Amino acid sequence: MGNVNVIIDGKKVKVKESSTILEAAEACGVTIPTFCHIKGLLPTGVCRVCVVEVQGSRTLVGSCHTPVSEGMVVSTHTPRVVAARKVIVELMLTGHTGDCVNDPNAENCKLHNLASDYQVGAPRFSVRAPRFFPVEDSNPYVRRDLSKCVLCRKCVKACREVARKDLLSIGYRGFRSKVVSGYDEPLTAEVCRDCLICIEHCPTGALSRPVKV
Amino acid sequence: MSDKKEAVAGGQPGAGLLPRLKEEVSQKTYLSRETLQSIAGQTGLPLNSVYGVASFYAYLPVAAAGKNIIRVCGCLPCDLKDAQGVIGRIKKELGIEPGQTTPDGKFTLEVVGCIGACDQAPAMLINDTLYGNLTAESIAGILKSC
Repeated sequence: MGNVNVIIDGKKVKVKESSTILEAAEACGVTIPTFCHIKGLLPTGVCRVCVVEVQGSRTLVGSCHTPVSEGMVVSTHTPRVVAARKVIVELMLTGHTGDCVNDPNAENCKLHNLASDYQVGAPRFSVRAPRFFPVEDSNPYVRRDLSKCVLCRKCVKACREVARKDLLSIGYRGFRSKVVSGYDEPLTAEVCRDCLICIEHCPTGALSRPVKV
Repeated sequence: MSDKKEAVAGGQPGAGLLPRLKEEVSQKTYLSRETLQSIAGQTGLPLNSVYGVASFYAYLPVAAAGKNIIRVCGCLPCDLKDAQGVIGRIKKELGIEPGQTTPDGKFTLEVVGCIGACDQAPAMLINDTLYGNLTAESIAGILKSC
Protein backbone atom coordinates (compact mmCIF):
# COMPACT_ATOMS: atom_id res chain seq x y z
CA MET A 1 0.00 0.00 0.00
CA GLY A 2 1.57 3.26 -1.12
CA ASN A 3 1.41 6.72 0.36
CA VAL A 4 -0.42 9.71 -1.03
CA ASN A 5 0.16 13.44 -0.62
CA VAL A 6 -2.72 15.61 0.45
CA ILE A 7 -3.04 19.25 1.51
CA ILE A 8 -5.32 19.98 4.45
CA ASP A 9 -5.93 23.61 5.37
CA GLY A 10 -2.68 24.48 3.58
CA LYS A 11 -0.64 21.83 5.42
CA LYS A 12 1.05 19.19 3.30
CA VAL A 13 0.86 15.69 4.69
CA LYS A 14 1.82 12.24 3.44
CA VAL A 15 -0.49 9.44 4.60
CA LYS A 16 -1.31 5.84 3.74
CA GLU A 17 -3.49 5.36 0.70
CA SER A 18 -6.23 3.70 2.76
CA SER A 19 -6.58 6.64 5.18
CA THR A 20 -9.68 8.76 5.47
CA ILE A 21 -9.59 12.55 5.28
CA LEU A 22 -10.25 12.62 9.03
CA GLU A 23 -7.19 10.46 9.73
CA ALA A 24 -5.04 12.59 7.45
CA ALA A 25 -6.24 15.74 9.23
CA GLU A 26 -5.35 14.20 12.57
CA ALA A 27 -1.89 13.34 11.26
CA CYS A 28 -1.17 17.00 10.51
CA GLY A 29 -2.80 18.44 13.61
CA VAL A 30 -6.05 19.71 12.06
CA THR A 31 -9.13 19.08 14.17
CA ILE A 32 -12.39 18.22 12.42
CA PRO A 33 -15.45 17.95 14.66
CA THR A 34 -17.12 14.55 14.67
CA PHE A 35 -20.27 13.24 16.26
CA CYS A 36 -21.25 9.76 15.08
CA HIS A 37 -17.70 8.57 14.45
CA ILE A 38 -15.95 6.11 16.76
CA LYS A 39 -12.22 6.03 16.14
CA GLY A 40 -11.05 2.63 14.96
CA LEU A 41 -14.51 1.33 14.02
CA LEU A 42 -16.19 1.24 10.65
CA PRO A 43 -17.46 4.72 9.80
CA THR A 44 -21.21 5.14 9.36
CA GLY A 45 -21.18 8.74 8.12
CA VAL A 46 -24.74 9.45 9.22
CA CYS A 47 -24.40 12.66 11.25
CA ARG A 48 -22.60 14.76 8.60
CA VAL A 49 -20.95 16.96 11.23
CA CYS A 50 -17.49 16.15 9.86
CA VAL A 51 -18.17 17.45 6.35
CA VAL A 52 -15.31 19.27 4.62
CA GLU A 53 -14.74 20.98 1.30
CA VAL A 54 -12.64 19.08 -1.24
CA GLN A 55 -11.33 21.02 -4.22
CA GLY A 56 -13.07 19.81 -7.39
CA SER A 57 -15.93 18.14 -5.52
CA ARG A 58 -19.38 19.53 -6.22
CA THR A 59 -20.67 18.68 -2.75
CA LEU A 60 -19.20 18.69 0.72
CA VAL A 61 -17.92 15.26 1.72
CA GLY A 62 -17.97 13.43 5.04
CA SER A 63 -14.35 13.29 6.19
CA CYS A 64 -14.78 10.26 8.48
CA HIS A 65 -15.64 7.94 5.59
CA THR A 66 -14.06 9.51 2.49
CA PRO A 67 -10.68 8.05 1.56
CA VAL A 68 -7.85 10.38 0.56
CA SER A 69 -6.47 10.45 -2.96
CA GLU A 70 -3.24 11.80 -4.43
CA GLY A 71 -3.14 15.59 -4.62
CA MET A 72 -6.39 16.09 -2.71
CA VAL A 73 -6.85 19.64 -1.41
CA VAL A 74 -9.11 19.80 1.64
CA SER A 75 -10.46 22.80 3.57
CA THR A 76 -12.02 22.00 6.92
CA HIS A 77 -13.33 25.34 8.17
CA THR A 78 -14.43 27.47 5.19
CA PRO A 79 -17.57 29.61 5.60
CA ARG A 80 -19.45 27.10 3.44
CA VAL A 81 -18.43 24.21 5.70
CA VAL A 82 -19.21 26.07 8.92
CA ALA A 83 -22.61 27.18 7.60
CA ALA A 84 -23.44 23.58 6.67
CA ARG A 85 -22.33 22.25 10.06
CA LYS A 86 -24.48 24.79 11.85
CA VAL A 87 -27.61 23.66 10.03
CA ILE A 88 -26.68 20.01 10.54
CA VAL A 89 -26.37 20.51 14.30
CA GLU A 90 -29.56 22.56 14.33
CA LEU A 91 -31.44 19.77 12.56
CA MET A 92 -30.19 17.19 15.03
CA LEU A 93 -31.16 19.43 17.94
CA THR A 94 -34.67 19.65 16.49
CA GLY A 95 -35.06 15.89 16.86
CA HIS A 96 -33.42 15.86 20.28
CA THR A 97 -36.55 16.34 22.31
CA GLY A 98 -35.77 14.69 25.60
CA ASP A 99 -36.09 16.19 29.01
CA CYS A 100 -32.66 17.82 29.30
CA VAL A 101 -33.70 20.29 31.98
CA ASN A 102 -33.96 17.58 34.62
CA ASP A 103 -30.92 15.67 33.41
CA PRO A 104 -27.93 16.01 35.75
CA ASN A 105 -25.65 14.84 32.92
CA ALA A 106 -26.92 17.32 30.34
CA GLU A 107 -23.62 19.19 30.43
CA ASN A 108 -21.99 16.05 29.04
CA CYS A 109 -24.33 16.02 26.05
CA LYS A 110 -22.04 16.14 23.04
CA LEU A 111 -24.80 17.55 20.88
CA HIS A 112 -25.27 20.50 23.21
CA ASN A 113 -21.52 21.03 23.34
CA LEU A 114 -21.33 21.00 19.58
CA ALA A 115 -24.25 23.45 19.38
CA SER A 116 -22.46 25.77 21.74
CA ASP A 117 -19.17 25.48 19.79
CA TYR A 118 -20.98 26.41 16.59
CA GLN A 119 -23.20 29.01 18.21
CA VAL A 120 -26.40 27.24 17.24
CA GLY A 121 -29.34 28.68 19.11
CA ALA A 122 -32.77 27.20 19.59
CA PRO A 123 -33.67 25.30 16.42
CA ARG A 124 -35.92 27.28 14.10
CA PHE A 125 -37.46 24.16 12.52
CA SER A 126 -40.85 23.12 13.77
CA VAL A 127 -41.92 19.50 13.99
CA ARG A 128 -45.37 18.11 13.33
CA ALA A 129 -45.18 15.89 16.39
CA PRO A 130 -42.30 15.46 18.80
CA ARG A 131 -40.60 12.08 18.77
CA PHE A 132 -41.70 10.75 22.10
CA PHE A 133 -40.86 7.36 23.56
CA PRO A 134 -41.49 6.32 27.15
CA VAL A 135 -38.33 5.81 29.18
CA GLU A 136 -37.31 2.15 29.39
CA ASP A 137 -35.76 1.27 32.72
CA SER A 138 -36.64 -2.40 33.01
CA ASN A 139 -33.03 -3.39 32.49
CA PRO A 140 -30.87 -3.07 35.63
CA TYR A 141 -27.83 -1.95 33.64
CA VAL A 142 -29.09 0.38 30.90
CA ARG A 143 -31.78 3.03 31.04
CA ARG A 144 -33.02 4.05 27.60
CA ASP A 145 -34.65 7.43 27.01
CA LEU A 146 -35.14 7.28 23.26
CA SER A 147 -36.75 10.72 23.05
CA LYS A 148 -33.22 12.07 23.46
CA CYS A 149 -31.78 9.77 20.81
CA VAL A 150 -30.67 11.48 17.59
CA LEU A 151 -30.02 8.19 15.76
CA CYS A 152 -26.26 8.57 15.51
CA ARG A 153 -26.00 4.76 15.59
CA LYS A 154 -22.99 4.78 17.92
CA CYS A 155 -24.65 2.32 20.31
CA VAL A 156 -25.52 0.01 17.40
CA LYS A 157 -21.92 0.06 16.27
CA ALA A 158 -20.42 -0.22 19.76
CA CYS A 159 -22.66 -3.17 20.64
CA ARG A 160 -21.75 -4.89 17.39
CA GLU A 161 -18.07 -4.10 17.01
CA VAL A 162 -16.80 -3.43 20.55
CA ALA A 163 -19.05 -5.53 22.78
CA ARG A 164 -19.62 -8.08 19.98
CA LYS A 165 -23.19 -8.64 21.13
CA ASP A 166 -25.09 -7.10 18.23
CA LEU A 167 -28.27 -6.49 20.21
CA LEU A 168 -29.26 -3.15 18.68
CA SER A 169 -30.44 -2.15 15.22
CA ILE A 170 -32.25 0.73 13.58
CA GLY A 171 -35.90 -0.14 13.06
CA TYR A 172 -38.70 1.50 11.05
CA ARG A 173 -37.91 4.39 8.74
CA GLY A 174 -37.98 8.12 8.37
CA PHE A 175 -39.61 9.99 11.20
CA ARG A 176 -40.49 6.76 13.02
CA SER A 177 -36.89 5.46 13.04
CA LYS A 178 -35.63 4.29 16.39
CA VAL A 179 -33.01 2.01 17.88
CA VAL A 180 -34.64 -1.36 18.51
CA SER A 181 -33.57 -4.46 20.36
CA GLY A 182 -35.05 -7.87 19.64
CA TYR A 183 -38.60 -7.63 18.31
CA ASP A 184 -38.73 -3.95 19.33
CA GLU A 185 -38.91 -4.91 22.97
CA PRO A 186 -37.17 -3.56 26.06
CA LEU A 187 -33.63 -4.82 26.60
CA THR A 188 -33.90 -7.72 28.99
CA ALA A 189 -31.23 -8.53 31.55
CA GLU A 190 -30.93 -12.00 29.99
CA VAL A 191 -29.46 -10.69 26.76
CA CYS A 192 -27.94 -7.36 27.84
CA ARG A 193 -25.40 -7.64 30.63
CA ASP A 194 -23.47 -4.98 32.45
CA CYS A 195 -20.80 -4.20 29.85
CA LEU A 196 -22.01 -0.56 29.70
CA ILE A 197 -20.18 -0.04 26.41
CA CYS A 198 -23.18 1.51 24.68
CA ILE A 199 -23.61 3.98 27.54
CA GLU A 200 -19.98 5.11 27.20
CA HIS A 201 -20.54 5.78 23.51
CA CYS A 202 -23.94 7.49 23.66
CA PRO A 203 -23.33 11.20 23.02
CA THR A 204 -26.70 12.50 24.17
CA GLY A 205 -27.70 10.82 27.41
CA ALA A 206 -30.34 8.68 25.69
CA LEU A 207 -28.53 5.75 27.26
CA SER A 208 -27.50 6.04 30.88
CA ARG A 209 -26.99 4.01 34.01
CA PRO A 210 -30.23 3.57 35.91
CA VAL A 211 -30.57 5.80 38.94
CA LYS A 212 -30.60 3.67 42.07
CA VAL A 213 -33.45 4.64 44.35
CA MET B 1 -21.46 -20.04 16.41
CA SER B 2 -20.58 -22.91 14.05
CA ASP B 3 -24.17 -24.09 13.60
CA LYS B 4 -25.13 -20.47 12.96
CA LYS B 5 -22.56 -20.34 10.16
CA GLU B 6 -23.79 -23.60 8.63
CA ALA B 7 -27.31 -22.26 8.63
CA VAL B 8 -26.19 -19.43 6.37
CA ALA B 9 -25.47 -22.10 3.75
CA GLY B 10 -22.26 -20.68 2.39
CA GLY B 11 -23.57 -17.15 1.95
CA GLN B 12 -22.88 -13.99 3.90
CA PRO B 13 -24.95 -13.53 7.07
CA GLY B 14 -28.23 -12.08 5.91
CA ALA B 15 -28.02 -13.56 2.41
CA GLY B 16 -31.50 -14.21 1.07
CA LEU B 17 -33.16 -12.35 3.93
CA LEU B 18 -35.63 -10.30 1.91
CA PRO B 19 -36.89 -13.21 -0.24
CA ARG B 20 -37.42 -15.20 2.98
CA LEU B 21 -39.39 -12.36 4.58
CA LYS B 22 -41.47 -11.97 1.42
CA GLU B 23 -42.21 -15.68 1.31
CA GLU B 24 -43.35 -15.69 4.94
CA VAL B 25 -45.56 -12.67 4.54
CA SER B 26 -47.28 -14.23 1.51
CA GLN B 27 -48.52 -17.02 3.79
CA LYS B 28 -49.31 -15.01 6.90
CA THR B 29 -50.88 -11.65 7.61
CA TYR B 30 -47.88 -10.40 9.55
CA LEU B 31 -44.41 -11.36 10.71
CA SER B 32 -44.60 -12.59 14.28
CA ARG B 33 -41.72 -12.72 16.74
CA GLU B 34 -41.48 -16.50 16.27
CA THR B 35 -41.32 -16.16 12.49
CA LEU B 36 -38.57 -13.54 12.61
CA GLN B 37 -36.68 -15.55 15.22
CA SER B 38 -36.62 -18.59 12.96
CA ILE B 39 -35.57 -16.50 9.94
CA ALA B 40 -32.85 -14.94 12.08
CA GLY B 41 -31.54 -18.42 12.88
CA GLN B 42 -31.58 -19.43 9.22
CA THR B 43 -29.82 -16.32 7.96
CA GLY B 44 -27.26 -16.04 10.75
CA LEU B 45 -28.45 -12.60 11.87
CA PRO B 46 -29.59 -11.44 15.30
CA LEU B 47 -33.34 -10.95 15.76
CA ASN B 48 -32.95 -7.17 16.09
CA SER B 49 -31.34 -6.94 12.63
CA VAL B 50 -34.10 -8.96 11.01
CA TYR B 51 -36.69 -6.83 12.78
CA GLY B 52 -34.85 -3.70 11.62
CA VAL B 53 -35.09 -4.81 8.00
CA ALA B 54 -38.71 -5.98 8.20
CA SER B 55 -39.98 -2.87 9.99
CA PHE B 56 -38.36 -0.66 7.33
CA TYR B 57 -40.74 -1.96 4.64
CA ALA B 58 -44.42 -1.04 4.51
CA TYR B 59 -45.22 -4.40 2.90
CA LEU B 60 -43.56 -6.48 5.61
CA PRO B 61 -45.96 -5.84 8.52
CA VAL B 62 -44.52 -6.54 11.96
CA ALA B 63 -47.59 -5.55 13.94
CA ALA B 64 -50.59 -7.83 14.15
CA ALA B 65 -52.83 -6.99 11.22
CA GLY B 66 -56.36 -7.83 10.15
CA LYS B 67 -57.34 -10.42 7.54
CA ASN B 68 -57.38 -7.77 4.82
CA ILE B 69 -54.83 -4.98 4.75
CA ILE B 70 -56.08 -1.85 3.00
CA ARG B 71 -53.21 0.28 1.75
CA VAL B 72 -54.41 3.62 0.45
CA CYS B 73 -51.90 5.65 -1.52
CA GLY B 74 -51.23 8.96 0.16
CA CYS B 75 -48.80 10.40 -2.38
CA LEU B 76 -49.21 13.61 -4.34
CA PRO B 77 -51.06 12.45 -7.51
CA CYS B 78 -53.60 10.50 -5.46
CA ASP B 79 -53.87 13.34 -2.99
CA LEU B 80 -54.67 15.75 -5.83
CA LYS B 81 -57.43 13.37 -6.95
CA ASP B 82 -58.96 13.48 -3.46
CA ALA B 83 -57.33 10.53 -1.72
CA GLN B 84 -58.23 12.31 1.52
CA GLY B 85 -61.92 11.96 0.68
CA VAL B 86 -61.43 8.25 0.03
CA ILE B 87 -59.51 7.78 3.27
CA GLY B 88 -62.17 9.73 5.14
CA ARG B 89 -64.89 7.44 3.76
CA ILE B 90 -62.97 4.26 4.65
CA LYS B 91 -62.43 5.61 8.17
CA LYS B 92 -66.16 6.28 8.43
CA GLU B 93 -67.18 2.89 7.03
CA LEU B 94 -64.82 0.91 9.26
CA GLY B 95 -64.69 3.21 12.25
CA ILE B 96 -60.89 3.06 12.48
CA GLU B 97 -57.97 5.40 11.94
CA PRO B 98 -54.95 4.63 9.72
CA GLY B 99 -52.71 2.15 11.53
CA GLN B 100 -55.64 0.50 13.30
CA THR B 101 -57.47 -2.80 12.85
CA THR B 102 -61.23 -3.28 13.07
CA PRO B 103 -62.40 -5.03 16.26
CA ASP B 104 -63.55 -8.06 14.23
CA GLY B 105 -60.02 -8.40 12.81
CA LYS B 106 -61.27 -8.14 9.24
CA PHE B 107 -59.56 -4.95 8.08
CA THR B 108 -56.38 -3.01 8.81
CA LEU B 109 -56.13 0.47 7.31
CA GLU B 110 -52.83 2.01 6.28
CA VAL B 111 -51.87 5.08 4.31
CA VAL B 112 -48.74 4.23 2.34
CA GLY B 113 -46.33 5.83 -0.12
CA CYS B 114 -46.78 5.60 -3.90
CA ILE B 115 -48.13 2.23 -5.03
CA GLY B 116 -47.26 2.88 -8.67
CA ALA B 117 -50.82 3.38 -9.87
CA CYS B 118 -50.75 7.14 -10.44
CA ASP B 119 -52.58 6.68 -13.76
CA GLN B 120 -55.55 5.35 -11.79
CA ALA B 121 -55.37 7.89 -8.97
CA PRO B 122 -56.70 7.80 -6.35
CA ALA B 123 -55.80 4.16 -5.81
CA MET B 124 -55.58 1.61 -3.05
CA LEU B 125 -54.54 -1.98 -2.54
CA ILE B 126 -56.55 -4.49 -0.58
CA ASN B 127 -54.04 -7.28 -0.01
CA ASP B 128 -52.71 -7.86 -3.54
CA THR B 129 -55.68 -6.46 -5.45
CA LEU B 130 -55.48 -2.98 -6.91
CA TYR B 131 -58.50 -0.69 -6.91
CA GLY B 132 -58.11 2.46 -9.01
CA ASN B 133 -60.11 5.55 -9.95
CA LEU B 134 -61.76 5.46 -6.54
CA THR B 135 -64.55 7.71 -5.43
CA ALA B 136 -65.86 8.09 -1.93
CA GLU B 137 -69.12 6.52 -3.17
CA SER B 138 -67.43 3.37 -4.47
CA ILE B 139 -65.82 2.51 -1.12
CA ALA B 140 -68.75 0.82 0.61
CA GLY B 141 -69.29 -1.60 -2.29
CA ILE B 142 -65.61 -2.56 -2.44
CA LEU B 143 -65.40 -3.16 1.29
CA LYS B 144 -68.54 -5.28 1.20
CA SER B 145 -67.08 -7.51 -1.50
CA CYS B 146 -64.08 -8.42 0.70
